[in-house]
Amino acid sequence: MNGDRSAAFAAAFFAQASSDWQTYEYLTRAPSLPRCHPLHYLQMACEKLGKAYRLRNPSANVDAIVTRHVGFAQFINEYLRSPPILEDYKGQSARHKTVCKTSSALAREIEKLAPAIDRTHSPENAEYPWERGEWDLGTGKVLVPCEYDYPALSLLDTQGGRAFVKLIERAFRDY
Amino acid sequence: MTKKEAARVLADAHFRIEDGLERVFIIPGGLEDPGEPIKLLEVNANTVPTGSIEPIPFSASRDIPFVTEIAEISPEEFSRLERGELSLPSGWTLEGADDVPRPQAA
Repeated sequence: MNGDRSAAFAAAFFAQASSDWQTYEYLTRAPSLPRCHPLHYLQMACEKLGKAYRLRNPSANVDAIVTRHVGFAQFINEYLRSPPILEDYKGQSARHKTVCKTSSALAREIEKLAPAIDRTHSPENAEYPWERGEWDLGTGKVLVPCEYDYPALSLLDTQGGRAFVKLIERAFRDY
Repeated sequence: MTKKEAARVLADAHFRIEDGLERVFIIPGGLEDPGEPIKLLEVNANTVPTGSIEPIPFSASRDIPFVTEIAEISPEEFSRLERGELSLPSGWTLEGADDVPRPQAA
């Protein structure tokens, strides 16, 4: 019974994650578009992909997995240590370790893009405006996603970022 | 290669590539059953806690010809598990689990 329910949710999350990922790829190629928009789809695709993998387990706690926003960073760590990825990097431990470090850091930053995650320490998200500074001291201001350049995610534009994107593509193919 | 040997190979490989990995437990349940996956509980200081322990199944490879389930938790979550505030998934137990030591070179 739980197995049927988790399998149905897994398939549904995977389908939506695939659609979100296609939209992310489309938006990254769109000229003059604020960065928040592709990042929003990247965050949604990644969150749902991690959930889909987790829900493939017939004894998964469906309600806990479906309702929370964290779990993608953990999924990436586990996927990077899965037998198929270990085989890809056979004899290349140092390279594998580098990919793990970069991908894990990126996954944590992508996870934080969800508005519900860590609003106190990392209010930067891809959807809603947030505030910075102290209004009493005259330094308060409200920042807008469509005007923000997300420096914590500049890693996406590096070689490590491209390796991360390939890793996500591989996770979609492997599913 | 037996499933137990494969689990040990995996655990050693994981220590080599993840500096934050503090402990790897090979869960004994199903190690003798060919239909059951290898089950690893991994305590990683570099992970983001989620508040529950949810293993992810991964497919076999040529080197590790067994489906493998990995559940990663933070050290704080492991402490909660030891205090009974978190529970392991059904079919998982730390009783009789192999607490794999970090290899010297890793």
